Amino acid sequence: MKQEEQLFTKYGKDSGMKVPEGYFPDLQKNIMESLPPYKKAEPRLEMSRWQRVKPYVYLAAMFCGIWLMMKVFHTATQPMSLSLDNPPEAFVEMIDGGLDYDVHYLPFMDAMDFDDDDEELIMSYDNIEDFEKDFGYSLKPEYSTISVDNHIKG
Amino acid sequence: MSYKPPIDEKELVKQLQNERTAHQAFETLLKTYTEPVYWQIRRMVLNHDDANDVVQNVFLKAWTNLHNFRGEAKLSTWLFKIAVNESINFINKEKHRVRGDVDGDDEAMLIKNLEADEYFDGDALQKELQEAIAKLPEKQRLVFNMRYYDELKYEEISEILGTSVGSLKASYHHAVKKLTDMLLG
Repeated sequence: MKQEEQLFTKYGKDSGMKVPEGYFPDLQKNIMESLPPYKKAEPRLEMSRWQRVKPYVYLAAMFCGIWLMMKVFHTATQPMSLSLDNPPEAFVEMIDGGLDYDVHYLPFMDAMDFDDDDEELIMSYDNIEDFEKDFGYSLKPEYSTISVDNHIKG
Repeated sequence: MSYKPPIDEKELVKQLQNERTAHQAFETLLKTYTEPVYWQIRRMVLNHDDANDVVQNVFLKAWTNLHNFRGEAKLSTWLFKIAVNESINFINKEKHRVRGDVDGDDEAMLIKNLEADEYFDGDALQKELQEAIAKLPEKQRLVFNMRYYDELKYEEISEILGTSVGSLKASYHHAVKKLTDMLLG
């Protein structure tokens, strides 16, 4: 390097720093005399297989816990959708097997808050097609073939 | 420049880590490395008395941490590493003692140290160069001293400072350029 050579030519490599006469042997002697007792290396503890994998197991368990909590939270906060486009399976089975139930005992009825007029309206329909037509619903093909027999008790 | 102990380094390390032979082995280590380590520190702190304190700390630290030396690096590299850390700590403590903070340039403190040094026997030119080196940023100062005065290989400096060879070459290049700009116009 040209610039390095220029520096070397002008300044050389002697820094101009000196030490007292016999400094290094004295320094070595001083250091040897001031050494504290020898510090032994602490014996290494052997870890068992379980101790080695424990952190990973705990980590995996923590993630499982978080996943489970999120799933529970997600399920609990899902709105219950009861619609004719997506009727619950149990409801379809009940309809498919014939409505041999008292309308007031159907589980979804409480949520829908039927009154006497609604009950009368339901009883006035013999099939789903008429109901679809009157209320403008469009059922999925697999549900539109369900026949509703008016065998409601009472 | 390389420093080699009179016996095989691996054998020396083995002896250092054995309580029975450690004292004698440490004496061998001191005879081999005290001088290069001292000059490394002296060029950083620019004062004999301060360098004398720091070099003693370095070897005491080395003695108390012998069991931590795993022999992955050379003994000289390990000692230089401790020396660099101790020198930087000393400079920061001095700055804090004098100015109350560790930020800012080291220049004023180092030049004051150089002027107070009764063992600086340099002429005007040597003083001029040392003052110019004191103006360099810490890393460039370290790299310049290790390369220009100690003639250490970039690979060894890289192990001591934990920086890539490419970055060291750039630092040295910048340092030389700054010095020639300052001193040679």
